Amino acid sequence: MPTISIKREVLFQGLGQRYTEEEFDELCFEFGLELDEVVTEKDDNGKEEVVYKIEIGANRYDLLCVEGLVRALLVFQSKISIPKYELSKPGKLERLEVDPSVDCVRPHVIGAVLRGVTFTKERYDSFIELQDKLHQNLARKRTLASVGTHDLDTIKGPFKYMAKAPKDIKFVPLNHTKEFTSAELMELYSTDSHLKAYLPIIRDSPVYPVIYDANNVVLSLPPITNSEHSKITLKTKNVFIECTCTDLTKGKVVLDTLVTMFSQYCTKPFSIEPVETVSKGQTSVHPTLKYRTETIKSESVNGLVGVNQTPTEIATLLSKMCLESKVNKDNTITVTIPPTRHDVIHPCDIYEDVAIAYGYNNIVKTTPQTLTVAQQLPINKLTDQLRESVAQSGFTEALTFSLCSRDDVAAKMRKKIENIPAVHIANPKTLEFQVARTALLPGLLKTVQANRKMPLPLKLFEISDVVHKDLGTEVGARNERHLAAVFYNKTPGFEIIHGLLDRVMQLLEVPLSMDKSTSGYYLQSSEDASYFPGRAAEIVAYGQVIGRLGVLHPEVITGFDLNLPCSALEINIEPFL
Amino acid sequence: MQDLPTAVLLELAKVGETTSVNLAEAFNLDVQRIVGAIKSLESLGDVISTEIYQVKKWQLTKEGEEVLKEGSHEARIFSKIPAGGIDQPKLMASCGAWGKIGFSKAMSNGWILIQKTNPQGAPTVQRKIDSIEDQVKAHLYLIKSGKDSSVDDKVKGDYKKRKLLEEVTEKHYRLRSGPNFTTKIEKAPTELTPEMISSGSWKTTKLKPYNLDALGMETGAGCLHPLLKVRAEYRQIFLEMGFSEMPANNYVESSFWNFDALFQPQQHPARDAHDTFFISDPQTSNRFPEDYKKRVEKVHSKGGFGSQGYGYDWKIEEASKNLLRTHTTAVSARMLYRCAQQSKFVPQKLFSIDRVFRNETLDATHLAEFHQIEGVVADYGLTLGHCIGVINTFFTKLGIEKLRFKPAYNPYTEPSMEIFSYHDGLGKWVEIGNSGMFRPEMLLPMGLPEGVNVIGFGLSLERPTMIKYKIDNIRDLVGHRVNLDMVKRNPICRIEKAGDPEERRIQMLNKRFDKIEERLDFLQKKMKCLGVKPVAASALPVGEGASLDVIVKSKPSRSPFSLAAMLKLMRKTFKISTSTHTHSSVDKPGSLKLPETEVSRASADIRLTLIYADVDNTVVTAGQTRIQGEENVLRYLARLIDQKTDSGLYETLPTAQVAVIDSVLDRLVDTSKHNVTTTVSGLINKQSFVAGGKLTLADLLACSLCQQHNITSPGIQAWSKRISKQLEL
Repeated sequence: MPTISIKREVLFQGLGQRYTEEEFDELCFEFGLELDEVVTEKDDNGKEEVVYKIEIGANRYDLLCVEGLVRALLVFQSKISIPKYELSKPGKLERLEVDPSVDCVRPHVIGAVLRGVTFTKERYDSFIELQDKLHQNLARKRTLASVGTHDLDTIKGPFKYMAKAPKDIKFVPLNHTKEFTSAELMELYSTDSHLKAYLPIIRDSPVYPVIYDANNVVLSLPPITNSEHSKITLKTKNVFIECTCTDLTKGKVVLDTLVTMFSQYCTKPFSIEPVETVSKGQTSVHPTLKYRTETIKSESVNGLVGVNQTPTEIATLLSKMCLESKVNKDNTITVTIPPTRHDVIHPCDIYEDVAIAYGYNNIVKTTPQTLTVAQQLPINKLTDQLRESVAQSGFTEALTFSLCSRDDVAAKMRKKIENIPAVHIANPKTLEFQVARTALLPGLLKTVQANRKMPLPLKLFEISDVVHKDLGTEVGARNERHLAAVFYNKTPGFEIIHGLLDRVMQLLEVPLSMDKSTSGYYLQSSEDASYFPGRAAEIVAYGQVIGRLGVLHPEVITGFDLNLPCSALEINIEPFL
Repeated sequence: MQDLPTAVLLELAKVGETTSVNLAEAFNLDVQRIVGAIKSLESLGDVISTEIYQVKKWQLTKEGEEVLKEGSHEARIFSKIPAGGIDQPKLMASCGAWGKIGFSKAMSNGWILIQKTNPQGAPTVQRKIDSIEDQVKAHLYLIKSGKDSSVDDKVKGDYKKRKLLEEVTEKHYRLRSGPNFTTKIEKAPTELTPEMISSGSWKTTKLKPYNLDALGMETGAGCLHPLLKVRAEYRQIFLEMGFSEMPANNYVESSFWNFDALFQPQQHPARDAHDTFFISDPQTSNRFPEDYKKRVEKVHSKGGFGSQGYGYDWKIEEASKNLLRTHTTAVSARMLYRCAQQSKFVPQKLFSIDRVFRNETLDATHLAEFHQIEGVVADYGLTLGHCIGVINTFFTKLGIEKLRFKPAYNPYTEPSMEIFSYHDGLGKWVEIGNSGMFRPEMLLPMGLPEGVNVIGFGLSLERPTMIKYKIDNIRDLVGHRVNLDMVKRNPICRIEKAGDPEERRIQMLNKRFDKIEERLDFLQKKMKCLGVKPVAASALPVGEGASLDVIVKSKPSRSPFSLAAMLKLMRKTFKISTSTHTHSSVDKPGSLKLPETEVSRASADIRLTLIYADVDNTVVTAGQTRIQGEENVLRYLARLIDQKTDSGLYETLPTAQVAVIDSVLDRLVDTSKHNVTTTVSGLINKQSFVAGGKLTLADLLACSLCQQHNITSPGIQAWSKRISKQLEL
């Protein structure tokens, strides 16, 4: 979830009221925000200021700046009415002309103009900060969309959006005085802690997107940087915003959010001048600032939330959430969704806002009448019963990780990874998470290793899932429930592990098959690389090999940094379901 | 010859009283053996009575023992010098570490001298006198043989500095005959034997008493893992609530079921490689139900089912990617889909507790894998109120009652709620889980009928377990680095019980006092029937070393502020530990919290506990005493102080004064605001304090009542300042 930092003084000034930390925390909680942290920071003049860090829901882009947050809270407290965002109608629109060459790298561009903006240091910072938040969250680190903002009085339309070879784009980038080609910029920014993350978005493309004005002045190299020439300053009055994107829907949301938030500071507040985009002979005008309506029934609201509100009450509650609502003659409610609320995509989003405005904690708790008969999952029931019994047999339960290194399941067990049906992880951050375990023994041996100081003997067990690659299943892999146990002492104690097997078989009512037939279980000598030669056996139950037991190979023991003999057992318990 | 214990008894019979040292001398034995014999005699019961006393004694160090054997270092140097002298380096080489000190001592004693005959060669050492007397050795011999008094203290100090001697404290025993003194020891058998049972000799046999202070033998049993014990409890709670267990034994899942089915858009950050473990082998799955897949694609890209959709190009390649499931909601999705395929919808209550995987940055509380607990209810007409109700029932069963819900965002639930509970220990609200109603965009494409709503809630298993067992690092709880000793020591899991042992102690004490109260009530009623007049309770004495539990219960609205004042006075006399608790019968504590003292519970004379509970009147319980009314609580506490020192507040005052105090206390039995205001104002108009010119018990009560009613007239404020000032003295 995104967190935004807001200076307390700016916040309280906006809200027109001072709050104690507890009071503000309470207000946040009700509205679905979290006052995460309160810190003291030094401003540019070295003055200490209290800064609130507030956690915002990942879908509320309209709350990512102090302007939007204050607006929403004031509406929530019914202190102001919902602002109406309007498109102005100038004689001639600014125009963005799209060249088809951008199709292969960043196909879309839309724009908007804010006229007569009054910037202050705080507003300017907030404007930049909001662009950054939108880039990070909604625009997925500028991959889906990115905006460039320019002082309109330094440039001249119509603007051309095209793609050119990296060496053919040349301009003075933001905060520089020298010209660079875009190829050189890639080099320059490769060490820039902020910008280097965005370079891969276009770096390997044969052409880079670029926006020029009518005089061939570069505006920006999306999504990397803007030109110094058109930079906005505190003195800027008219702001030209261009938004290039690979996902037009996201681009529209980014643009809508930016203009609805900052048109507050225009000569005519909340008035936005649209820009036309001409692409392949088609003209479209953005932003649309579309107000969408949704008609809902009070029964549906009450039915989902579990309250009993009249249509009028519901409309009042929704107005607190910036959703202007009116009750129709037939008692349905028409809800107007403003361009700031792109998160509302279904009536259920509206119902939630009713619930929030009503107060989650004011809703009466009720118990559903749903009558069901509980069933345990058979494999889990068997597991829990066996766990109790094995512990009663004197073994202590371990709980090891289901992910491990390839060496854990292969090399350390004297096996080859190619011969093991392991599920491999594509993007492990460390060696510990290379594969899903195919056996429980490595984890148990690591547990023994970590507990070598405990008095001997160590008797450990685990009943848990391993994962085997199995192309016969839907996802190509399946879990298998295993029981594993180890006995670690100065003597191998094969008879102890064998005794545990006999006990488990007794509990599962599997008889010993003296004639080695399908009448029960028996051991059959079988070599295995993990076990000492001549000291390993397969366990066969009702004719099916269910696992193995024996004395571990000394190289396995030393492989896990151990030095005493160890006998082990591992079986699949699923056949006994 | 008789054994040593018998010999000791015979000697004791002869001399009447003796010590371990005397006995050692008499028997010419090491004193440790005598002590052994004394211990074994002590275990027989009251045959002898013993008393320990300490004696300081000089003892030879290891180096001292060496000197006693080999001679002092300086004497050894002297003896190494032949008649014609010796080269100094050669001499030193023939000595051990002691050479240097021996040489300088021999020099300062004037025993030897250095001659430098040859300017180039090494100096030679010569004897200065013909013979010496090794006094050090002689002294040490005296000390060793117990005649240390014949050696001068200053000399002994020197030897101590030379690390030849050390001063030790020895424990000696003084012996007298005990009440059951005998010189004939019957060796008490230690255990009951089969022979004793068959012969019947147990009837006359006296067994050696057990040492009940020692610990028993370890049972050597196997143990279950703490986290899985907690899992069993959660599982049990779900089963009690009628939830069926979902098959969650599939760690590998497709992106389709893990994300797309849950209406989680393909660009969602959770689908990033930074957060999710993707699988390289087997890399993809593609056997999805074809028509369902189409509905999912449509609802994501274009919307439908009343939704606008996300308006992006949905790709099957993205949905096919295999991963390690990031939540068990993927399992819930499969179950809900399965449920939708049945010819008739059947309501469901489902749960799972199983592992999930996140490719996250690891720290003390986060691992790449953890257990998720998830509950799902699907039925017609479920509401958010039901959701809150189900969660409430679930957490109540866990012993968590104070819950509240915060609006939140989750791609597949709407409304979404974060669950917070009030943590008494941390004194704040902490997030304990997530919940919500699944979105129609998730349910309707599955084919679930319109009108069926689905409640979901989830939490991690590790987090509450770590809080319960106060484990700071998750690696101490799960994984191979777990300490098996911790696993062995872990108690049985009674999830609904308070995690804090102190809280449990209070609960047990409470229960005991409730029983005592019940019995007292019964006895009082019986006495009333018999016409016996009850006697006023007097304060329980607080003895040396013994401690007293004093528990005051009060309504939260009637915080007994007088208790804080009394505590100040009591602390001058007693070591007091305090604690304040809130009983589950009330929602909120009162405004008074007893100030904490630095006295630990174990070392306190009085353990004062204030419990806010649903009681009619403030009541104190101490031992078998139970007294009602704040005024009587004060009387009781004043008597407690008076046992030790004069509190000067009540009964130690002249009788006439006590009568005045009593009358004021009686007038304040009516605790209504009106009565308190008029009574107190009337009294302090004429005098400094309510019962005259001096602070008394009556002021403490009156002041407390004024605080409870928030009475703050100027006169009362001035008077309460006077009280505080007096209390500070």
